Amino acid sequence: MSALGRGFSAALIVAAAGFLIVPFKILAAPIEPVMGLIQKIFYFHVPFAITMFVTTFTAAGGSLAYLFKGSEAGDRLAQAASELGVVFGACVLVSGPLWGRKAWGVWWQWDARLTSSLLLFLILNGYLLARRYGGPGGKKLAAALSLFAAVDVPLVYKSVDIWRTVHPQTTVVPSLDPRMRPAFWMAFALVLLVWGVLLTLRMRLLHARASLADLELAIEDLEEVRS
Amino acid sequence: MRIRTVIAGAAAAILATVAMTASALAQEYEKVDNAVREQLPAPQFVGAAYAFIWLAVLGYVAFVARNLAKTRTEIEELKRRIERAGGGAGGGGAGGRAGGAG
Repeated sequence: MSALGRGFSAALIVAAAGFLIVPFKILAAPIEPVMGLIQKIFYFHVPFAITMFVTTFTAAGGSLAYLFKGSEAGDRLAQAASELGVVFGACVLVSGPLWGRKAWGVWWQWDARLTSSLLLFLILNGYLLARRYGGPGGKKLAAALSLFAAVDVPLVYKSVDIWRTVHPQTTVVPSLDPRMRPAFWMAFALVLLVWGVLLTLRMRLLHARASLADLELAIEDLEEVRS
Repeated sequence: MRIRTVIAGAAAAILATVAMTASALAQEYEKVDNAVREQLPAPQFVGAAYAFIWLAVLGYVAFVARNLAKTRTEIEELKRRIERAGGGAGGGGAGGRAGGAG
């Protein structure tokens, strides 16, 4: 097994162990006095949201490489990262309203943070749709959409500080109770690791599919020559 | 005439937006004492959130695994086609490239 393969297997084992350990760390963390047990959603809601930002920037980086240098690897990176953006975005947009229903009394508010997050999720979905149904220019159109998604990220992050919203501000994580920090950072590391593992796996698969398509064309040529 | 109409429409839209924003900003939060709070069970909400998250991640893993299995099948099919075409050199290349990528 290559060094890359060994590293990937180790990451996979650590991620699987994390799934078993982190929930116990979260349960052991103190219960927040105002919100109570519902605050436990925070330990995965926030890491998934931050990783959604990371994957959006990664997708934009890949799209830039594809648009300006014609890099197929960049395009594959953008596709894999955008798919994960949709999955992680769905987790954020489902766990958030579940928390909000209990804490605020409503499932949804059209405030700046929630609306801009939904917009980011829709742009990432738009990327995948443009790739799939956009025809010959679909990949370039999707890459441009990916850049728009990256522009939306700072807006999502700072929206709670700029506009009046029901959502907590960006000061929550820095001012977190020190007894809650180990569980939060462990959950964050786990989510980031899972993202890294899934991104690597998906990119390898996309690379294999591209190689297969090239090989099929080469074999068809070979078969024609032989016949 | 048409340009004037467009400019007038745009100006009216801007004025309406500013007026709405100003009235929204003028509002203040009011504290409501003794408000009746709906009692909702927190464990179910926390459980639902965590269940969705893990199902979404596992769903994506299943999607990738299914594609991986499909790719492996296609690689085997290609190998057979190469053998049939009698391309000994091509066989090594196909196995190396596809195997390395997958």
